[in-house]
Amino acid sequence: MLKMNRFQQIAALLAAICIGMIFLWRPTAIVYGVQRAGLYAAVALPMALVLGIVHIVNLAHGEIMMVGAYSTYFLSRTFGIDPYLALIPTVLVLYVIGVAIYKSTISRSVTGSELSQLILTFGIAMVLSQTMNLIATSQPRKLSLSYVSSSAQIGEISFGTYEFVFPVLAALMLIGMTYFLRKTKLGKAATAVGQNPRGSAVIGINVQRTYMIIFALSSALLGVVGSVFMTKMSIFPMVGGSYTMKSFCLVAMAGIGNLPMVVIGSLVLGIAESTIQAFPGGGGWSSLVFFVLIIAVILVRSFREKTV
Amino acid sequence: MRQSTTFKSTAGVLLVAIVAAVPLLLGPYAQSVARTILMYLILSVSWDMLVRSGQLSFGIAGFFGLGSYAAVLSAQYLNLPPILTILFAGIFVGLVAYLLGAVVLRLRGMYFAITTLALAEIFRIVIRNWENFTGGPTGTLLPKMAFNGDSVLTYLMMLFTAFIAVGFSLWFEHGKMHFAVTAIRDNEVVAKSCGIDIYRSLVIVFAVTSAIQGAVGGTYAQLYGFVTPESSFNVNYTLIPLAMTLLGGMYRTWGPVVGSIMLGLLGEYLKLFIPYGHLVIYGLIIVFVILFMPRGIVGLIQERFRKGGTL
Repeated sequence: MLKMNRFQQIAALLAAICIGMIFLWRPTAIVYGVQRAGLYAAVALPMALVLGIVHIVNLAHGEIMMVGAYSTYFLSRTFGIDPYLALIPTVLVLYVIGVAIYKSTISRSVTGSELSQLILTFGIAMVLSQTMNLIATSQPRKLSLSYVSSSAQIGEISFGTYEFVFPVLAALMLIGMTYFLRKTKLGKAATAVGQNPRGSAVIGINVQRTYMIIFALSSALLGVVGSVFMTKMSIFPMVGGSYTMKSFCLVAMAGIGNLPMVVIGSLVLGIAESTIQAFPGGGGWSSLVFFVLIIAVILVRSFREKTV
Repeated sequence: MRQSTTFKSTAGVLLVAIVAAVPLLLGPYAQSVARTILMYLILSVSWDMLVRSGQLSFGIAGFFGLGSYAAVLSAQYLNLPPILTILFAGIFVGLVAYLLGAVVLRLRGMYFAITTLALAEIFRIVIRNWENFTGGPTGTLLPKMAFNGDSVLTYLMMLFTAFIAVGFSLWFEHGKMHFAVTAIRDNEVVAKSCGIDIYRSLVIVFAVTSAIQGAVGGTYAQLYGFVTPESSFNVNYTLIPLAMTLLGGMYRTWGPVVGSIMLGLLGEYLKLFIPYGHLVIYGLIIVFVILFMPRGIVGLIQERFRKGGTL
């Protein structure tokens, strides 16, 4: 199922060796790395759908997730319901927001230049985060739930178990999206539109409608991720920005339309980050590793594409 | 045609001179507003110079912040006098951008844009974590401010920097490089087949515009006397120049100039009503301009003139 060339095979082998060594040295680094990777993958997969399949560049990606997280926060605070119950209305709200954003702005630039799409969605990102800043102030917010601090002990190491919800979520999303793209009519239409919008229109696909539904679907998925994010993390209006960047890089790294590679990329980066954090005094530097790795991978990719 | 352009430029110079003199008559508050506007004006003009080549940078805040730190640290460790620290900041950031650009400019379009965003983040993280050299998260103080913070003199300093930046941009607009860069933006393959060394042109433009942004960062450090990672690398320094340039009109020098003066004054006014989150206006302006008037205000005015046949 995984299509790999020789370069990727070597990289995968090296990664496997590294992971083995880290596991012998600090087993918890692997556990936390997998949990972290689950979150990265869960945020990046909707972008893989929008950027990777139908080629809409959306720099407001993390901000949409942020809106989802706030929606869950306010719903569960005002009605006193569990965030997992608040997830259902959040998903609906985010779907509507997705349609609204697409209809009002992106639909006009979807055929335009990449440059204007980048600037446009950067503007949308700023509007979303600053509007949230006006509504909710920049104060960090967190839900205190009893079940999120569960932990387990194997041998001598103990670790939090609730965070495994992120890898589980990512796995479910990967399976669901693969099924959607391979088996459903809409999914196949989306792939066709991504490959050739004009050709798709000729064979009778409603291109604008496909774009809109895919964008809104990814927005709804981000609503799910935002709700689950809210159960464990603390949020503030600017929380989304770094996730936009990380998702973009993971998708760019994986290559257009390659969903499983997004998950593998997240695993490598998640484990690399938590390994750096396992070093004494490495806490602040771990986010740097992410960016450096990412730039390196994008560059390697661009060089290889040039030579092919 | 030739005569009308010289007439226009003389009129332009006169107008600029009058506008520039106004804050001198209005006192310290007006001068402080004008300093901020000029700061954004230079950032906008420099960003526009790069965008003319079709490369979109989201890294303004990164080079700005790096410049502000370069100025403070060079004053601390090398005992440079204030004006020289600004120069140092420009040259240092220009060099960094030249080296990075040599690698990063292999990328195009969205890959380049995101990488510049990531670069800005890398600068911030390095400076935040390198505590015994940069002062870490709490920031660090400038030993001695330029002109001891005198309002009129610092305003003139900003004005001088702005003149250099605008002059450079105008010269750039009429030089050989302009044709090379515009050709790259319009069609890279054609540009290449005309014998333009795309890669070299882009690296030079990237280094020069980043150097300008770094120098502005240096003047910022000289104006406020201290730097912290959060204030120097603030996303505002990317967002606001972008909004200003778009409103004024991209791909020409006067666009960012007009846009930054208009939005700068408006922003100062808005701050009184919405102290937090007035940035939402800038975001809305970006969205609105991209959708409904991609040529900006200056573009619209030029169009009007052309229709009237006054060109």
